[in-house]
Amino acid sequence: MKGRWLAAAAALFALALFAGARMRRLHEPRFPPLSELKAGPFAFQDAALAAAGFRAPAADLAWIQLLQYAAGSLPEYADHAGHPYEHLSTLSLRVTRLDPSFHRAVLFSAGMLAWFHGVERPDEAAELLNEGMRRSPDQPIYALYLAAIAYQKQGDTGRMIALLESSFDAPETPSTMKAILANLRQSRGEHREALALWERIRASERDRSEHARAKAKIAELRAILSKPSPRAK
Amino acid sequence: MQTISAVFAYTFKEHLRHKAWLSAALFGLVLLGGAIIVSALGADERARLLLDLGLAAIEAIALVSTVFLTVHLILAEIESRAIFLILTHPVRRADYLLGRFLGTVAAVALGMAGMAAMHLLLLSLYGWWEPLRYAAALGCVLGKTAVMGALSLLLSLALTSEAAAMSFAVFLWMLGHFSSEMRFLADRSGSAFMKTALVAFSHAAPDFARFNYRDFWHQPSPGGEWLFWAGAYALAYAAACLALSVQLFDQKEF
Amino acid sequence: MNAIRFQNVSKIYRRSHLGRVTETTGLSGLDLDVAQGEVFGLLGLNGSGKTTAIKLLMGLHHPTKGEVETLGRRASDVEVLARIGYAPESAYLNKTLTGRENLRLFASLSRIPRAAVEKSVEEILAKVGLGKAMDQRLSEYSKGMLQRASLAQALVHDPELVILDEPVTGLDPLAIKEVRVLILWLKSKGKTVLFSSHDISEVERVCDRIGILSGGRLVKVMKQEEWRGKTDALETAFTAAVVRTDGVGPIRME
Repeated sequence: MKGRWLAAAAALFALALFAGARMRRLHEPRFPPLSELKAGPFAFQDAALAAAGFRAPAADLAWIQLLQYAAGSLPEYADHAGHPYEHLSTLSLRVTRLDPSFHRAVLFSAGMLAWFHGVERPDEAAELLNEGMRRSPDQPIYALYLAAIAYQKQGDTGRMIALLESSFDAPETPSTMKAILANLRQSRGEHREALALWERIRASERDRSEHARAKAKIAELRAILSKPSPRAK
Repeated sequence: MQTISAVFAYTFKEHLRHKAWLSAALFGLVLLGGAIIVSALGADERARLLLDLGLAAIEAIALVSTVFLTVHLILAEIESRAIFLILTHPVRRADYLLGRFLGTVAAVALGMAGMAAMHLLLLSLYGWWEPLRYAAALGCVLGKTAVMGALSLLLSLALTSEAAAMSFAVFLWMLGHFSSEMRFLADRSGSAFMKTALVAFSHAAPDFARFNYRDFWHQPSPGGEWLFWAGAYALAYAAACLALSVQLFDQKEF
Repeated sequence: MNAIRFQNVSKIYRRSHLGRVTETTGLSGLDLDVAQGEVFGLLGLNGSGKTTAIKLLMGLHHPTKGEVETLGRRASDVEVLARIGYAPESAYLNKTLTGRENLRLFASLSRIPRAAVEKSVEEILAKVGLGKAMDQRLSEYSKGMLQRASLAQALVHDPELVILDEPVTGLDPLAIKEVRVLILWLKSKGKTVLFSSHDISEVERVCDRIGILSGGRLVKVMKQEEWRGKTDALETAFTAAVVRTDGVGPIRME
């Protein structure tokens, strides 16, 4: 009788192993190995959080640091003169290494690299998108952005914009990308289309700063559109 | 049953009246407040950040409270000798341990439920509403908490030192999140000894990595059958630890 | 049937520190029977084995050798504890609970039917003079009140056998008198009482028989007739029987 609890523990542990095997068969979380987190000034932060089972929050913090970098306030990743956003890829890959389902990090950086005014590094953007696609093959928006970059390289801006606009309402589309699209329309003199996009941004975005930006752009575009065109004179 | 419910009731009440529980609950609310502030920096991903950081705060508080409470659960009663009076009544030691454990898990679960209600309210104010998946993620956090509680209790009885039990509990928590890594390393290892040791460790440590519903929330989510087996895993693992605890506790003299 | 039976019982404590094992004898070859309805006093110096004997009776310790029986069952059988009341030398009660909650707990643990718990609790608390303080937390009780609460938990389930470990140690003269009245009341109800004490004058007033323990051995058993009406008979027998085993020499003030 002395060992009956030991026997019960062994039986219960065997049941736990069986249940664990069934769990593994039914679902496998898609996280890259921890060894991929070892580089960069934030390696300790990432590894510590991931080791304690907080990968998604670690990716969230990495996303905030990516945004800080994009806003020019992340001292650990300062750009060299003449190389704007040189660490954008590295920082967005860091986010996806922590959580490959954080698609917006890749799309945000790819959008900035390919279409942000004054950056224009579509090859780097394509490389980033390919990496994102490798980690999340079932995410169609990466392929769509890659196709848009291909049109851009061919000089077919119209088809590029049309393609990007098809993903405008997708939940993964970053608000920055939406703003880039609206600005592209405006730069092509397509003020009505640009206005329509900004109105969609204002209706869909909850972020206060995006809202304010959309409001200002709408006012600006309405003012442009209300002016009589030179042909009407 | 009357014995277990009596021990359960006094343990539950004892925890709720303990300053540590109240402090943990308040600290949890502060962490939730922190999650709101940090999530405000997340731009497009504000809802995701609020969800992730809120659930992480709930889990962190639940984990810390569980380890702290279960490590002290029996040792403090031995120290204060309150255990004399309990065990000199017709109480089987297994019933006593189970009542104490369940009372602690229930107290921690109550704290978690309070934090979760607050968190859900915040999320709903932000337009986010997926209560079923949220309940599944919270259930997995509770499963991890129960397993950690049972493990800490076992460690406290095996090591009889609160500091050592807490350190080992934290170590096992970490190890539990390395289960996939250990299997990965075992596959790559050329040494048969290393392979066997790594596989053995990966199975013996609780498989928390696969239990992290809140961590892989944004990936394709597992179905109901997975949740059933996850529940079975947590129950069986915690029960195995409790059975070992009873084995040790039965031999103790006071 | 005897209420208590020790058959050649020995208890050896083994402690190991850094691989060095030390052994201490708690009890050695104890043979003792206490009849039902008897009031039996265990007398002895500190470390003589009184508390060890009581802990063996209550199942808190396991004998190294021999058999311990209470009410015809082995002392390790938890079921028999429902028929025994035990009050330790200090009130080891849960201070976060109120007097009523503590008693409710012990009443439930003692298998009192749920419907009868409340009545039993209120009755016993009123009997020990805590009727007005029953809803106060024990952390607010005085030492005397705690001692009464401890006695109440030992009696709430109307036990057949009452075991009191040093019940008068540290009490004021009024409280000592109340304990004496209580023991005599229990005797009048046909209960068996075993208690340990250093206080020879108290023991000789209430006991039917006494046993003197020294160095873990039962060195003398006396009946009431042997000391009743004879001045200092018990004290003389006690000082003649006991030997200091704790390494402390006598106080010499010449």
